[in-house]
Amino acid sequence: MALFGGVLLAAGIVLYVLEPVLSGRSAPLYRGGDEHDEAAARRRVALAALRDLEYDRVTGKVDGEDYERLRTELSREALVQLEPEAVADDPAGAGASRALEDEIALIRRALQEGLQCAGCHRLNAFGAKYCGGCGRRLRTDRAADSEGKARR
Amino acid sequence: MTVLGETALWIALPIALWGTAVSFAGGRTGRSELVLSGERTAYAVTFLLLLASLGIVAAFVGNRYEYWYVANYSNRELDTYFKVAGLWAGQRGSLVFWTLLLSAFTSIAVFQNRARNREFMPYVSGTLLAILSFLLVVLLFAGVDPFERLGFTPANGRGLNPQLQNYWMTIHPPTLYLGFTAFAVPFAFAVSALLTNRLDSRWIAVTRRWILTSWFFLTIGIVFGMRWAYEELGWGGYWFWDPVENASLLPWLTATAFLHSIQIQQNRGMLKVWNMGLVAATFLLTIFATFLTRSGLIESVHSFAENLKIAYIFLGFMGTTAAFCVVLVVHRLPSLCSENQIQSFLSRESAFLFNNLLLVGIAFAVIWGTLFPLITEGLLGQKINVGPPFYNRVNLPIGLTLLALMGIGPVIAWRRASRRNLRKNFALPCSVAATTFIAFWWTGVRHGMALATFVLASFVMTTVVVEFWKGTRARARIAGEGWFAALRGLVRRNQRRWGGYVVHAGVVILFTGLAGSAFDVAQVHEMLPGESATIRSAFGHEYALTYESLSHSRPRADENVGANDWRWTALLTVRRNGEQVAAMRPERRFYPVMDEASTEVGIRSTLLEDLYVIPRDVDLESGTERATFEFKVLPLVPWIWFGGLIVAVGTLVGLWPPARAQSAAGTVPGRRPVAPRPATSEAATSEAAGRAA
Repeated sequence: MALFGGVLLAAGIVLYVLEPVLSGRSAPLYRGGDEHDEAAARRRVALAALRDLEYDRVTGKVDGEDYERLRTELSREALVQLEPEAVADDPAGAGASRALEDEIALIRRALQEGLQCAGCHRLNAFGAKYCGGCGRRLRTDRAADSEGKARR
Repeated sequence: MTVLGETALWIALPIALWGTAVSFAGGRTGRSELVLSGERTAYAVTFLLLLASLGIVAAFVGNRYEYWYVANYSNRELDTYFKVAGLWAGQRGSLVFWTLLLSAFTSIAVFQNRARNREFMPYVSGTLLAILSFLLVVLLFAGVDPFERLGFTPANGRGLNPQLQNYWMTIHPPTLYLGFTAFAVPFAFAVSALLTNRLDSRWIAVTRRWILTSWFFLTIGIVFGMRWAYEELGWGGYWFWDPVENASLLPWLTATAFLHSIQIQQNRGMLKVWNMGLVAATFLLTIFATFLTRSGLIESVHSFAENLKIAYIFLGFMGTTAAFCVVLVVHRLPSLCSENQIQSFLSRESAFLFNNLLLVGIAFAVIWGTLFPLITEGLLGQKINVGPPFYNRVNLPIGLTLLALMGIGPVIAWRRASRRNLRKNFALPCSVAATTFIAFWWTGVRHGMALATFVLASFVMTTVVVEFWKGTRARARIAGEGWFAALRGLVRRNQRRWGGYVVHAGVVILFTGLAGSAFDVAQVHEMLPGESATIRSAFGHEYALTYESLSHSRPRADENVGANDWRWTALLTVRRNGEQVAAMRPERRFYPVMDEASTEVGIRSTLLEDLYVIPRDVDLESGTERATFEFKVLPLVPWIWFGGLIVAVGTLVGLWPPARAQSAAGTVPGRRPVAPRPATSEAATSEAAGRAA
């Protein structure tokens, strides 16, 4: 009985394992549309780094020269990754990148419109020239704004 | 069932070998039917190993003492759940269980990737099946067959080691094995990336969840083991730097380093060779842990010394695998060049690199200490063991530096941080640390290492709390969310980052608990029933313990099933600062089948400290019931378990499936969104900055 069970088990397993070879059934060997793509991954990393930098500015972790320097470096890298041909190669990853890109643009526009005080990080009403918290003059960065618009 | 299990084990080996061969051949030649056959092999081997494991469990539960393994690790009187746990009680069953878990993870990896990462999969399944084949060869041909028959049937088994007869036996080993075996999957992907020369960050992105899963099980497995030692070994400690404890810590150390260094590769395209080295080292260390635990080469409280032959087989496998990895990495060196370099000493990359070096440094120290007896035996002809003082002296300063880096890393900027920025971000944490130092010094704490731990813990915890506070406040204020919703949104936005901070908080709590051991208090008392003794804790609480009585359990009258153990239970009442707070029942147990005794300690936990009662000796012959107790008050021990829990929660946050990607302007993902012009610029600010936070 045990011998019969063992033989049956072995036969079943061998048949299951060999079936693709015997019948010619195959599995895909190349990537599909949902694959991780290095260009898309780098694009997302570059944009996520830019988003995190804006976040760090909002929370007061980075400001002044550090912010400007890092933003310049990261923007340069992100632009390289956002070359049109790279995006065209990866339509699936491009969607996520655009989402991040738009998010960054919105954050940056809000910051560039001078609503957040560089000193105390208070968010002020639209049109305000001075911070309602500390009285500091609010700063507007039109040049960077133009750069963002040009990219979009 | 047992015969079927035995048959299944024999069928599994040729099937696994076939799978290994066709997977690699399919990958090499592009014949996809071979690849599919290899992948089916993974499922088949898992099924067969499940049958084999069930066969062993059936033999234990059915008291089949004609099998050598059952006869040596069980007895009729043993509780059923310990009989089930017999599967991993000894060397032979452990190897089967290990192989079963590895095959199950292989099947999960194959199933997950049946329609993606297809270029990797032939080599992933080939590598994993090769490891499985090796383990099956060991099981069947190295003298550790779990189904080996004695040739006669003893009336009863020799029983299970008393120290293993604890409920943690059913929890700790499986958890740790899950951690060990899960790491084989990232290793297989790394080998596949090397073989296919696809050495970008893809293999890391694919395996990040596997790495975290393995790390999660390793972490909770180690903490469970500490708790088991604390409850069962009866000396009031939780870590003894035992070789097998060390073996479980080693892959955890390198896996932790790997978890940090892959962030540098993903963000900056650096440390590619280092990461390959770490993933290979971690896998080899999980094999080293198996080898050390199961070979009996080094004496340990976990000793499974049965068959030294497999020690050499494992050594050969490790050597071959290491050589294979080195050759592959050297062959692919041109593709593994760093794309960037560290710009400044004051940067997050730099902090992560230091963190890596320190973790690997601790790993080297632990390996050196663990293998020292073997090295001295080889050179001097006698084994010389290094004890806890060696490990503590070397590892404590490194551990404290790591603790400091845990506070520095998250706050410091990527690439380069200015001194002004550092001053600004570190002002509060440093102030809190300084205040902590003054407060502890003022209250009389003079223990250098403990003081340093408390100060650094306050520093790190401040950085974590400030990160959460700033992020939540920004999101709540700007997006107009409540505090809880803001916190939830913050974490969901970047689970990896915030989960990591929770893990850091847990480690800080755990370290604080470990530092509490500097203030342990212990006393030994020989007492008669009715007598009392007092002990004062480091926190100033006075405990008065009264030895009330001694009782003992009697063997059951059943002729066929006797008592597995006889128990002498002491009853002690506890008063804290004059108020009765508890009754404790520590025990001495005698196991007649094994002819061994064990100690079951009494533990009373509060938030700040544990009262720990060890029954050292009971005088049964004089009729006086005189007993010797060791009383200990162990400060902050509960923090260790709580810290472990927080670490587990943080890891689960990182592992949790991410929120579905949504486009910034609320449009369908994948379609270019049209940013709506908010009604007011203030609304735009709120929306955008809220998302950022």
